[in-house]
Amino acid sequence: MLTYIIRRLIGALAMLIVISMVTFGIFFVVPQWAGATPEALASRYVGRAATPETVHLIAERLGFYDPVAVQYGRFLKGIFAGAQYDYGAGVEQCPAPCFGYSFISGQPVWPDLVDRMPVTFSLAVGAAILWVLAGVSVGVLSALRRGSFFDRLSMGTALAGVSLPIFFTGMISLVVFSYGLGWTPPGGAYTPLLQNPAQWAYDLMLPWITLAFLFAATYARLTRAGMLETMGEDYIRTARAKGLREREVVVKHGLRAALTPILTLFGIDFGLLIGGAILTETTYTLPGLGQYAILAIRNQDLPQVMGVVLVAAVFVVVASLIVDLLYAVVDPRVRLS
Amino acid sequence: MTAPLDVPGSAAEAQPESVLAGVGKDIQGRSLTRIAWMRLRRDKIALGGGIVVVVLILVAIFSGPIISAFGHDPLEFHQDAIDQSTLLPKGTFGGVSGEYLLGVEPVNGRDIFSRIVAGAGISLLIGFLATMLSVVIGTVLGVVAGYFGGWVDQVIGRIMDVFLAFPLLVFAIALAGVVPDKGFGLEGNGLRIAMLIFIIGFFSWPSIGRIVRGQTLSLREREFVDAARSLGARHGYILFREVLPNLMAPILVYATLLIPTNILFEAALSFLGVGINPPTPTWGGMLSEAVRFYTLPHFVLFPGLAIFITVLAFNLFGDGLRDAFDPRAH
Amino acid sequence: MRRKSALAAAATAALAMALSACGGGGGTSQQQQPAQSASGNGAQPAFNASLTGVFNPSTKKGGTIKAAHSADWDSLDPADTYYGYSFNFGRLYWRTLTTYKTGPGPDGNQVVPDLAESLGTPSDDGKTWTYKIRSGLKYEDGTPITAKDVAYAVARSYDKETFPHGPSYLNELLAWPKGFKGVYKTPDMDYKSAVEATDDTTVVFHLVKPFASMDYIVQMPMTAPVPKAKDTGAKYREHVISSGPYKFETNEAGKRFALVRNDQWDASTDPNRPALPDRWEVQLNVNADDLDNQLMSGSIQLDIPGTGMQPAALGKVLPDPALKARTDNPTIQRLWFVSVIPDTKPFDNIECRKAVMWAADRVANQTAFGGPVAGGEIATNVMPPGIVGQEKFDLYQTPENKGDVNKAKQALSACGQPNGFATTMSFRSDRPREKALAEAMQQALSKVGIKLTLKGFPASSYFSDYAGNVEYVKKNGIGLATHGWGSDWPDGYGFMQAIVDSRTIRAAGNYNLSVKNAEVDKLVDQAAAELDADARAKLWVEVDKKVMEDASLLPVVWAKSLLMRGQGVTNLAYNEGQQMYDYVLLGAQ
Repeated sequence: MLTYIIRRLIGALAMLIVISMVTFGIFFVVPQWAGATPEALASRYVGRAATPETVHLIAERLGFYDPVAVQYGRFLKGIFAGAQYDYGAGVEQCPAPCFGYSFISGQPVWPDLVDRMPVTFSLAVGAAILWVLAGVSVGVLSALRRGSFFDRLSMGTALAGVSLPIFFTGMISLVVFSYGLGWTPPGGAYTPLLQNPAQWAYDLMLPWITLAFLFAATYARLTRAGMLETMGEDYIRTARAKGLREREVVVKHGLRAALTPILTLFGIDFGLLIGGAILTETTYTLPGLGQYAILAIRNQDLPQVMGVVLVAAVFVVVASLIVDLLYAVVDPRVRLS
Repeated sequence: MTAPLDVPGSAAEAQPESVLAGVGKDIQGRSLTRIAWMRLRRDKIALGGGIVVVVLILVAIFSGPIISAFGHDPLEFHQDAIDQSTLLPKGTFGGVSGEYLLGVEPVNGRDIFSRIVAGAGISLLIGFLATMLSVVIGTVLGVVAGYFGGWVDQVIGRIMDVFLAFPLLVFAIALAGVVPDKGFGLEGNGLRIAMLIFIIGFFSWPSIGRIVRGQTLSLREREFVDAARSLGARHGYILFREVLPNLMAPILVYATLLIPTNILFEAALSFLGVGINPPTPTWGGMLSEAVRFYTLPHFVLFPGLAIFITVLAFNLFGDGLRDAFDPRAH
Repeated sequence: MRRKSALAAAATAALAMALSACGGGGGTSQQQQPAQSASGNGAQPAFNASLTGVFNPSTKKGGTIKAAHSADWDSLDPADTYYGYSFNFGRLYWRTLTTYKTGPGPDGNQVVPDLAESLGTPSDDGKTWTYKIRSGLKYEDGTPITAKDVAYAVARSYDKETFPHGPSYLNELLAWPKGFKGVYKTPDMDYKSAVEATDDTTVVFHLVKPFASMDYIVQMPMTAPVPKAKDTGAKYREHVISSGPYKFETNEAGKRFALVRNDQWDASTDPNRPALPDRWEVQLNVNADDLDNQLMSGSIQLDIPGTGMQPAALGKVLPDPALKARTDNPTIQRLWFVSVIPDTKPFDNIECRKAVMWAADRVANQTAFGGPVAGGEIATNVMPPGIVGQEKFDLYQTPENKGDVNKAKQALSACGQPNGFATTMSFRSDRPREKALAEAMQQALSKVGIKLTLKGFPASSYFSDYAGNVEYVKKNGIGLATHGWGSDWPDGYGFMQAIVDSRTIRAAGNYNLSVKNAEVDKLVDQAAAELDADARAKLWVEVDKKVMEDASLLPVVWAKSLLMRGQGVTNLAYNEGQQMYDYVLLGAQ
């Protein structure tokens, strides 16, 4: 078990390095195919009507004249050993892990990321609880009452959620519940959990529900399919023959076996969501990692992009590891190797 | 799939038993496909879904004649149908009328009906083929990883992680300038469609791959796999005859739900300059355009409905298909 | 959206970009406007009420103004910012030598003294400018503000490596010593050849050439005093030391900040700022559509960028008389246009460029850009109305402004392409209005056989990598490119030079994409050297005409914006100089 985890962690590190190299490479190499020069890259990060001298200074400051490999080396060194940042009036030590400073705002990236994580985490956890509860229970009920009105209705509703983009449902929900009925706070409301838990939940209620609505569909459909599959298995018959109560049969035997795909998907969804619930955060103006990611990419602000991509990658890796460990719990037949 | 035998409420569900009952004694002599077809024919809802799918495909193929019969050129502006100060369609409900069956777009007054019909081809093509591509890659790699385990699983697992965390947007935004106009014997939007199918399909396989892998992990320990193995069955046989059919349920469900995402993803990419070149209509593009005017719900409604109907039809048909082909029913 | 493969996640992200990118063009639009008749005092909630009068006038102090911005601030540092809203809003926490006169109407174009006691005194034929600053001025920490601080602030703004975003007018205008690299890299160097404090209240600027409009330059924030002892270079933006009526209470980069009263600010030294509210709260990176909703519902009172409402809100506001009565619809000095690039064949032939001028459907183009209310007035030449001496003329008059197929075809024949040709048009893919413009152009040009392939590029690298990159344009045959420009200088030079002078063209990052005409360049030089104001204005009109004759720039609209007055706001007026609401006048009910 322990060796398994250690092996996985080593694999994770290798993967992070691959991802960071790929991101770095894309940023520098792909524009070069289109003929971009260091000055061209630098002129993205200056104000309008900047003189060629300014552009040259900035290209130099950002290190664009060095070979990509050298620049990447500098980036890696910053992460493991920290870096120094010249802010004009002096030099600042940027301790490891130093993801560097924004090309545009000059703000250090790492503190920003740390600062934004709780927002995204709050959003993801709350929404995940809702959609798993809703999705799985609707899925189970649908399977048990297959073909019924409830089954059809819930499936239709679920699919509507999949077909409409969240910025539509999100904006409509704000217009109706915040500005129309006044039940929920306006967009942009966020209170840290530790400051006031009740307010935290109240502020995030609408984003949670909207986000959950979109995810619940897939969970309901997968649960339904899985339940239909397992409820026909021999061991369910056996369980019933044993005289177990129906509820026990459904939950302990049926659902448990139907859970594998749900668990897998949840690992992926949740991992990616912590890396940034991009649309939800943009729609509701939540200052989380998703909002940060979209700004970074739009501005092509490499240090910010690298930071947020790597943080997201870490969550993907961790989630995938946890899911693999959980397989063994859910289905005792699965062995870890 | 086997129906739940005695679950409360299962009386309402119909298909397998009644199908078998209707077929009677002759069942022995029928092929699997034939049985499946007979079952499917009895499943009205699934058939309905299937018909809608066929209709959608026909619409996509015959979009030209349909548009000239019922609509206007999808690219043509109709500024006379637009209120020049608000830029909103004249008339009620987005300008729905005999002239414009589903109303017109704000700003330029293009016929929404024609654009939805004209967009069906590209959207379905991208939604469907990209999904197929990712399902094929995901299933093959997922089954292999789950079934063989060990280092194979390790390697494939890490590849999946890399793909899941791949900064596709960064890639797309950088790509905008280097996408050629010609290549692989295609040009213009033809090349773009092929490229989009490849990008979308190639980068969305890991989630389905992981689901398949997880299922395979538990399936390979099951009795019937053990039995096949001890009978000396080859890996290929076990994978395709024993394991794969048991994976159909989650794959079908997941795949059908991936279609709308893929349709919308094309729109997202064109926002970064690597999607279908405007003004060619696509459903995702229409929907994301419409969201800018979310105060006009009907503008969102029609492309949204087109996508919804497509997903619903694929789902209903998929369900029926799965039921009909369930290997344990014979 | 829902399904989360890496790519679905990416899909959501890209759509999010669509969501947050409906804003107009970057760049500031600081400029004056010549006198326009203005009268009346609009206290009634009526359309355009605060264009000509102060809406809801008040002298009541107290309350909080909640404001929001749909993007990030470029920088809060006075040396490192180049947006009109920032120049406007910054006056709450900084004071510059001069400032635009507060309030509505044409007076808003005039500069009045702020830190300075009076406007500048030119000497040496306009090569030396002297400003005397008021006494009794203090920073938020109680230390006195002296002329030295102003000179220091100007000198520090020289360092474009540390402050890449700010304007570089003073870098070019002042007689900086050789080898000067800014106050950080060459700290011991004396910069008094460019700017000096001859005593505690006197700042003297030494220019390299005579320059008449120095008073307009020093209203820019580079002259806002910075205490050397508190200067932290690129980090100063995190805590700017206030010289105005408000100071920073909190500042969370990229998220929000709050201003509270600066008790060291003395109202008796400041005739320009009533400083009514007790507190300002600004939220950043707010979803643009939600921002409009909040403004309508009253949970915020001010939209910081002041570039106008989003299409969704327009659809709600314009048909609703009650909501429309809360809006103002000023014309701003910004031109949206299409560059017709002569480097790309067959546009090297002027007749082919002219074919584009004749074929374009100006009404469709205007509609694409938002129509007559939210978009702007149909532009027929380069300089927008309001630029000093601007003249409106039309060399390519077509019936109802909808294009003239016959004339376009004649031009095509003259060009040797009677059946038309194919070319590529670029636009910023994350700007829906530019996409709509490209589509409208494609429709109109197809009528004369010019076949356009539309290609979108990300806005962040549009000028650096694509449309503004000479190599890329040549290699990829981009014939047309959407473009927009607002001036930060009130005359022909300030508006046009950067987009029509071919000598500004370099390898990448160009803003002049298409005007490469020696006669234009010659006229630009002539106009810039002309000392007589009237003659100079006439020369700029000549430049404008020459550019239109060259047919390398197709004007689309002179922009207008639709601004909404927040609920519970008092003392609101549109200021011509700021090109948006006057933020220092505002009060809260």
